[in-house]
Amino acid sequence: MRLPRFEYYAPETLEAALSLLEDRGEGAFVMAGGTDMMVKMSHGRLKPKTIISLKSIPGMDMISFDPANGMMIGATTRLADILTDLRIETHYPALIQAVQTMANVEVRNMATLAGNICNAAPSADSAPPLMVMNAEVSLASVRGERRLPLSDFFRGPGLTLMQAGEIMTSIHLPAPQVGRGASYMRISARCGVDIAAVGVGVEVRVQSGVFSEARIVLGAVAPVPLRASGSEASLIGKPLNDETLELVSDMAAHESKPISDVRASADYRKRMVAVLTRRAITQAYERSTARHS
Amino acid sequence: MKEYSIIGKDVPRTDAEAKARGSALYTDDIRLPGMLHGRILRSPIAHGIIRSIDTSKASRLPGVKCVITSDDTPKIKYGNWRLFPETQDEYPLAVDKVRFIGDEVAAVAAIDRDTAEEALELIEVEYEELPGTFDVESSRAEGAPVIHDYCPSNVSVNRKIKYGDIEKGFSESDYIREDTFSFQAISHAYLEPCASLAQVDLDGRITLWTSTQTPYIVQCLLASTLGMRENDIRIIKPYVGGGFGGKMELRPWEFCAALMAKKTGRPVKFTLGREEEFLAGRRRHPMKIHSRVGFKKDGTLVAKDLRIQLDGGAYNAMGPTATFLCGNFGAMLYRYPNYRFLGEHVYTNKPPASAMRGFGAPQSLYASEVQMNIAAEELGIDPVDIRLKNAQVSGDQIPDVATISSCGFSESIRAVAEMSGWYEKRKSLKPGQGIGIGCYSFISGGVFNWFNTQYPFSAAEVRVFSDGTAHLLTMASDIGQGSDTVLKQILAEELGLRMEDIRMTSADTAMTPQGDLGTWGSRVTLMAGNAVIDAARKIKEQLFGAISARFNLNVIHHVECKNGRVQATARPDYGMSFGEAVAMVQKANRGEPLFARGSYTPRGKGLVTPAFGFGAQIAEVEVDRETGLVKVKNMWTAHDCGTVINPRSVEGQLAGSIQMGLGYALSEQMVMDGGRTVNVDFADYKMPTAMDMPPSEVVHVDTYEPEGPMGAKETGEGLASPTAPAISEAVYHATGFRCKDLPITPEKILKAI
Ligand SMILES: Cc1cc2nc3c(=O)[nH]c(=O)nc-3n(C[C@H](O)[C@H](O)[C@H](O)COP(=O)(O)OP(=O)(O)OC[C@H]3O[C@@H](n4cnc5c(N)ncnc54)[C@H](O)[C@@H]3O)c2cc1C
Repeated sequence: MRLPRFEYYAPETLEAALSLLEDRGEGAFVMAGGTDMMVKMSHGRLKPKTIISLKSIPGMDMISFDPANGMMIGATTRLADILTDLRIETHYPALIQAVQTMANVEVRNMATLAGNICNAAPSADSAPPLMVMNAEVSLASVRGERRLPLSDFFRGPGLTLMQAGEIMTSIHLPAPQVGRGASYMRISARCGVDIAAVGVGVEVRVQSGVFSEARIVLGAVAPVPLRASGSEASLIGKPLNDETLELVSDMAAHESKPISDVRASADYRKRMVAVLTRRAITQAYERSTARHS
Repeated sequence: MKEYSIIGKDVPRTDAEAKARGSALYTDDIRLPGMLHGRILRSPIAHGIIRSIDTSKASRLPGVKCVITSDDTPKIKYGNWRLFPETQDEYPLAVDKVRFIGDEVAAVAAIDRDTAEEALELIEVEYEELPGTFDVESSRAEGAPVIHDYCPSNVSVNRKIKYGDIEKGFSESDYIREDTFSFQAISHAYLEPCASLAQVDLDGRITLWTSTQTPYIVQCLLASTLGMRENDIRIIKPYVGGGFGGKMELRPWEFCAALMAKKTGRPVKFTLGREEEFLAGRRRHPMKIHSRVGFKKDGTLVAKDLRIQLDGGAYNAMGPTATFLCGNFGAMLYRYPNYRFLGEHVYTNKPPASAMRGFGAPQSLYASEVQMNIAAEELGIDPVDIRLKNAQVSGDQIPDVATISSCGFSESIRAVAEMSGWYEKRKSLKPGQGIGIGCYSFISGGVFNWFNTQYPFSAAEVRVFSDGTAHLLTMASDIGQGSDTVLKQILAEELGLRMEDIRMTSADTAMTPQGDLGTWGSRVTLMAGNAVIDAARKIKEQLFGAISARFNLNVIHHVECKNGRVQATARPDYGMSFGEAVAMVQKANRGEPLFARGSYTPRGKGLVTPAFGFGAQIAEVEVDRETGLVKVKNMWTAHDCGTVINPRSVEGQLAGSIQMGLGYALSEQMVMDGGRTVNVDFADYKMPTAMDMPPSEVVHVDTYEPEGPMGAKETGEGLASPTAPAISEAVYHATGFRCKDLPITPEKILKAI
């Protein structure tokens, strides 16, 4: 398929990128790793008139961490850099779980976390763990900056709250807290390179042996990464045991709204929501108690 | 085993460096001045009459140089089974009718690929849609749509085999087992998509560079469909990135490239896209297999009644051969004193299936092997022991087929059982873990001359020079399996030269000796290898004569080529360098160059093959009982390919086979919605990746095949069969789920347990 004709810019400041984006208006797209965009373009599903690469903006690929304020991951940070960051591995293992199952080495050397979020695929692997960990995203435009919780961000396949002219500049994770633990589990037909058929992110807070807070997000089983609020609620006040797990995982399966496609049937996806929810809760619980000691 | 200097050694492949560096030229890498780019318009419907085609808008698009439909062609049918012209059912471009989604309707050549692509959208085709049929039952039903007028039943080929007394066999059986199996289509998924580049010379002759396994077949069929003479067509096979049976016929883009080059006077290149390959490409036959087997109480096989229906898709392609071979494979591995086979090749409105690695064996042997495992369990015999009881051995005769000249099957079973710790693991594995066995036998090339070639099956020419070098010319086609390396090794061994002393030209129909039927059926090492030896021996005769005369040797002396010398074996000082010996022969012949032709055609070798490979494989798996996901933890293989000419090559074949077998067993399938292939990219066509490969160990059983070059036979395709049944049995062992319709998906496992 013929690649559409487009202008290409690699501005060296965020301001330049923002004003270009504003100026070119509809048909202008920012690009990070291009691993989603280029695939769409070569299949004729995306026909940008202008491409603005963010990769030449200095500092946008920073990862910074401080124990009081948490983690900040820049919009052009590559997935490969996230995987090798010991601070992330220590404090946000659920994010590592997601990133290491994504694509393959070559793609991870190009792709970004921000790109994965902005692309807004229902199966995006990073969305469930980031959402359960209360991630926020910073958006900038010529009119200013704003910061949104990621849990409000997704609106449908490929649709987000981001407005025309906005660029995501960074992703933030709150400081790690004692007594909390998170996990991400996903399943697909092939263990090598594959797209998730189901993904489940869980974060829990455990106090005096019972769950006092819970967030559960289901990937690839609805038009957006789905908060399973009923399941979350049913976990509160309960200890970790088979009964709890069964109750909550059944509820999660019930809350999911999967479709049948070539990757899996709706039935199978529902069953897997239950299995993965159980496993992710268990692991999140273990991680929360590990932090106590 | 005989001591060799190059045979049996890990000689690096001659193409390895070029491929690793990226300097190997594949067809799509070749660019010629003024070259045009072709694209094909394919049918969007599964079955219909073409009412009209209007190409005028497309022709007017700037940059478009040529648009053709079947009206621009001689409308001559082709097909690989030239011996039976009624089976030749395909036109390069659809004439009046389309029969599957993807059927080739028109072609465009333009100054670049994008322009050609745009022009396709401007071609207006009016179809009258006809009802289609998408599985063998509905194709064979009363009143089913007729896909080809010549074949109102939609059954285009049937094959019967019968020996012994089947009724008596069953009446004498203590235990009879009857099962039905079904198989999905899978893709060859070779990494190099099909590509062809045609150039026409001033005399109107055509040169076609093409990604093919069978240059000679393409040469002949391209000539006949264009109404040209064979020798006016030259086929050159550049580096090829895999074929697996999917590139062994004349293909429409080869025809279109040639015809459009003729029409425009400019080179024309076609390179298929991956989606096109998945949507319309050849595939492994979906099949229905009904098998009834009878045993004695002690596990002795008595009778087998096998019925197979192949879902051939819209054209015969290599389906007739697959139909024949299914019947032969059904009677392989074990001794079946009473056997009956009925195979039917059925048309449906789907992309044609064709040859694919194993050529009917993966399906046929899956059924055999799974039934063997069921019988073992029900008769209370270990799966390994029941196999040993019935295993074919050297000297066994398969009625009307062949005598097995060498067979290391029992040795393979014993070796694989031992290396895997079979007996121990069968008892002691934890729930969710399992171990299973699958076996295979395969042909080393076919005997049946369906192509009706008038040439030898394989040929080689060897030229030797006074500088101590040799030039080997052969039409054998290296498509990545490594035949260039292996044939060079064979020649180097015969002539006592080093690999680097040999120049090689292969697979160019204007330069390399006629003929060779190409790369399929695991035929190349045995057949082309024998041709090389034949040529080399003729050269040696002359060299030995020269030595004998020069040193006045008693006629009883044995002379040899060794370490770059030609010498009397008992008196190495009576000898000279290879180059000097060549010079002497040349002098004696007043300057005539020294060269020889060699050939091989199997004769008196029955109807199927000159030699059979055998082997056994064991898989250990772990099944997640909640998700249904199967993890293959380990694979063990012991096999008999005769003399191992290049161990690393053989291990490469094994690794590739396991990768394919893994996909066939667990994840690969062409998902169909009626006649449409739904999963047309690698995101949704679940081919295992390097990350999915299990650890693997192998033992080569030491045998010697008298009919093979230096004792060698096949290793390319046989190994494609055992992996799926081995995994299937291991999954059964782990979960109690016995899969009779591949692939073994997590959903099927969960439903069953
Ligand atoms: C072989 C392969 C395997 C893959 N496997 C997986 C997988 O397992 N799991 C998974 O989730 N994904 C997978 N992907 C998809 C893709 O790699 C990821 O979504 C990746 O994170 C996208 O990042 P990117 O930087 O390449 O995005 P890009 O392609 O550059 O951008 C994607 C979209 O986001 C927008 N965008 C990017 N950055 C910004 C920004 N800072 N501000 C505003 N908009 C922005 C772009 O305009 C575009 O619309 C795979 C892709 C390939 C090719």
